[in-house]
Amino acid sequence: MRDSLARTAFFRGTIACLPLTLACAPWGLLAGSTAIDAQLTPAQSQGLSLFVFAGAAQLVAIGMIKGGASAISILVTTLLLTSQHLLYAMHLRPLVSPLQPKWRFGLGFLLTDEFFALVSPFDQKTFNRWYALGVGLCMYVGWNIFTLLGVVLGKSIPGLDQLGLEFSIAATFIALITPIVRTVPTIVCVAVSLLTVVLFSYWQWESAIVLAGLAGMVAGYLCKRLGGYWA
Amino acid sequence: MIWTIIGGMTLILFFNRYLFLEPRLPIRLNRGVKEFLGFAVPGMLTAICGPIIFVKDHGLDLSLSNPYLLAGLCAIGLMLWRRNVLLSVALSVALFYLFRWWL
Repeated sequence: MRDSLARTAFFRGTIACLPLTLACAPWGLLAGSTAIDAQLTPAQSQGLSLFVFAGAAQLVAIGMIKGGASAISILVTTLLLTSQHLLYAMHLRPLVSPLQPKWRFGLGFLLTDEFFALVSPFDQKTFNRWYALGVGLCMYVGWNIFTLLGVVLGKSIPGLDQLGLEFSIAATFIALITPIVRTVPTIVCVAVSLLTVVLFSYWQWESAIVLAGLAGMVAGYLCKRLGGYWA
Repeated sequence: MIWTIIGGMTLILFFNRYLFLEPRLPIRLNRGVKEFLGFAVPGMLTAICGPIIFVKDHGLDLSLSNPYLLAGLCAIGLMLWRRNVLLSVALSVALFYLFRWWL
């Protein structure tokens, strides 16, 4: 009886995550094909999806590797770029932290934007760990299948770097940023980040992206704090 | 080198994901840190888009004949209009190739 309930919950989670997983297909394909384009081996390209499993961070790291950035600046960027996971884990803490270690590690590893979106509406009474596992594994398996397809395609298309694939990364991020630019501090953050990154890249600073991102974050934060004092 | 980066990224991601799921961790993020992290997505993603759009062969291309800039502006417009990430990305990528072929 318990087993069948668990199976049902796992299945429901998988089904709930299926549309979101399919929506990630283009980025999974990109993560695979752009990695090949940036001269990573097929094993390294797939390894990013198998071990890191974070779409935006993977695409950024690939872009930075291609641009010749240092390992340190890639890791600092990764740390900053994926810091929203700290906030997700903070919200999910009441649900996940009482579980056994194997469940905490497993669900922790599978924590993504999509996982958070589907799991965070539950409270301690309605939360089902099997449902959460279904959501997370659906995304993980789907993401890796699409990456593999991208790797295979990337190997078979010559001159991939001339195709302008990097624009789809910019387009994706623009689409993600546009809806959240609603308040003055966010506008300041985006404006400062854009201006400084163009300036720093023009000066050919190696850590242009991290420094500009941080400058934007600091500007937005200060603006919000000062706004709070004036209001 | 590449495997070092992949290994480091794996550790960083797992740290970010797992830290606050650990029951023995007593601390809480204070409001200032939360507010600062709230700017990570717009700040970092914008900084990543900037060079892709404006930097071409170590020089700046701020002209309107830059297909990256035109298609990027279209992506913003499409997003404001339809509020659909996939649609905006697909259409603006199509427009990007149209502009590149045209200009």
